[in-house]
Amino acid sequence: MKRHRLLFGGALLFVVASTLTGCGGHELRTIQARSALDAGQPRQAIEHINHQLGVDGDKDLPSDLTGDNALLVLDRGTVQQSLTQFKLSEQDFQASDKAIDMLDLAHNAGDSIGEYMFSGSSSRYVAPPYEKLLINTLNMINYLETGDLSGAKVEARRLAVIQRYIRDELKEANNSILGLGGFLAGFVYEKSGDADEALRWYDDALSFAGYGALSAAVRELAPRAGYKSPRIAKALAEEAAAASDDGADVICVVGYGRVPHKIPKRIPIGLALTLVADAIEPTNRRAADRLAAKGLVTWINYPTLAPDQGGYSVPTCTVDGKSIPMTEAVNVSAEVTAQWRKIEGKIILSAITRLVTRYAVGEGIEKVGGKGPLALLASLGTQATLTALDTPDTRSWETLPARVAIGRVRIAAGKHTVAAAARGVTRTQSIDVKRGGWATVSLQALR
Amino acid sequence: MLAAHLVVERDPMSLRTPLAAFTLGFFAFTSGCGRKEYVRGSQQPGIDSAAMSTGLDKQDIQQMLQENLNNLRMSPVMDTWRKGGGKTMVAVFPFSNETTEHIESQLAAILSEAETWLVESNAVTVVARDRQNQIIADIEGSRNAVFNPAHVAQYGKQLGAQYFLTGKVQTSDERTEDARRVQYFFFMQVIEIETGAIRWQHKAYVTKMVR
Repeated sequence: MKRHRLLFGGALLFVVASTLTGCGGHELRTIQARSALDAGQPRQAIEHINHQLGVDGDKDLPSDLTGDNALLVLDRGTVQQSLTQFKLSEQDFQASDKAIDMLDLAHNAGDSIGEYMFSGSSSRYVAPPYEKLLINTLNMINYLETGDLSGAKVEARRLAVIQRYIRDELKEANNSILGLGGFLAGFVYEKSGDADEALRWYDDALSFAGYGALSAAVRELAPRAGYKSPRIAKALAEEAAAASDDGADVICVVGYGRVPHKIPKRIPIGLALTLVADAIEPTNRRAADRLAAKGLVTWINYPTLAPDQGGYSVPTCTVDGKSIPMTEAVNVSAEVTAQWRKIEGKIILSAITRLVTRYAVGEGIEKVGGKGPLALLASLGTQATLTALDTPDTRSWETLPARVAIGRVRIAAGKHTVAAAARGVTRTQSIDVKRGGWATVSLQALR
Repeated sequence: MLAAHLVVERDPMSLRTPLAAFTLGFFAFTSGCGRKEYVRGSQQPGIDSAAMSTGLDKQDIQQMLQENLNNLRMSPVMDTWRKGGGKTMVAVFPFSNETTEHIESQLAAILSEAETWLVESNAVTVVARDRQNQIIADIEGSRNAVFNPAHVAQYGKQLGAQYFLTGKVQTSDERTEDARRVQYFFFMQVIEIETGAIRWQHKAYVTKMVR
């Protein structure tokens, strides 16, 4: 009877193992795309992502966006933007925005059970706040590039909804992504003729450092708006050169480098216990200590951050050869790292819990099978199998720029050439702006 | 954490409990991989009734339009038009999207439905849309031929229209940890081009939610 149970257990695990075999971490699905971006080949990167999505071309969306494909579509959206395929990038960001939102809303207790019992990557993906904010922020750039203020306003409103949610529900008021979002949304409303809404967004942007370029815009908007705040008053008090009334405004947005993506890491249980010594529950601590003492199959798998890229680059932007002062609008890598620091302990704890679970299953098999070598082998095999199946959760939006710099300048109406450059990637764009008009030129140097 | 703790402390002879929990959980996570199929609406009448997203669908559009156009049918401006024997020129201008959803194609559908309703009413003569687009391009410049609400009086004069029908959709969009609710407010109005006076206005509501 015991033997039958043992065989049943072994067969069950074999079924589970064979079903899960081949489920590499997310970073394995994207390694070719990242390598292509590193080599300065965004076109190839998109082809690799399309292959992973199982679609034929850049404009095709996968039939199933309910799982991790939503993340791949986000990755593709950024690369499409870097290739100036703005309409396709709009489509990708819109689709993944809704899919990520649905995944987030659908997150439930079952995901936590999966996370603590099977594998870190078994739960539904929950996008961190900076990713939620950047979807709408980067999509605003697409609409601005195509001159679609109505579409850009939809993204600004969506940004406002998620901003309120992050502030009121997640209690995170100071996410620096909002600085860039506020700058762009303010520009959208300014050019739509809504001075109050523009100032409200600029006020948000001014709460983060480095938006001196806004002083002139605030000065122009203030007489037409009723909105007031201490930051707006301070901006009005600053010295700023008077801008020509018959010119046009150009904003240049340069994203460069790439944020640190997640990579799997394997450490001995003893080291893991040291890392989370203050946080682990006593019962799990005892179980884990027993495992550490046993010295067999006692590794934990968990994700960590790879280094970011492009931290020391200097982005440039010129209009007809004349430089626009560029300000670092947001350090996305810093947001990624800060967010990671908040959850790293919990991630290691859940990895330890999974290890304890594996041990319990293996121990059960050994006890049922008796003291024979077959039972020991089955127990060790079970633990080893479950260890191999424990895929660290390396999911994240990997093609985000590490930093975004922004510049704004008023130029004479007419034809001009805007050139942006960063990390060896350049974009030259001809623009033709009317008096009182505007243009946006962006560059994403994702390497 | 609790689950793992319980497994460690229970009677180790009971192999079935951890394995059963593992199996149940595993199948719970891998379920739902059914094959997709295409379905024809005429063969499955209820196909239009399910909400697929927080955007606007056919049922929402019909509901909002029906409410607004039924009100327009009974309005004084419609009586004035009827008295004109169908000679009054009316232009239908784009409805503005002031929502948190990209519903431009749905708004275009609303516009076409409203235009069709006006034409079928025989109370007015409706200006052709491509003629309108030409006038907009003339006034705004061909490089930026986008409808500008501030210039409707100019459009109207060029088109020879006496009234224009337009509208806007606004939303109140709220998000919590486990739900997102979008409330739509759909306004339609008729404006007399000569005076700029609003001769009719009505609103309709639709709410969509994901939870």
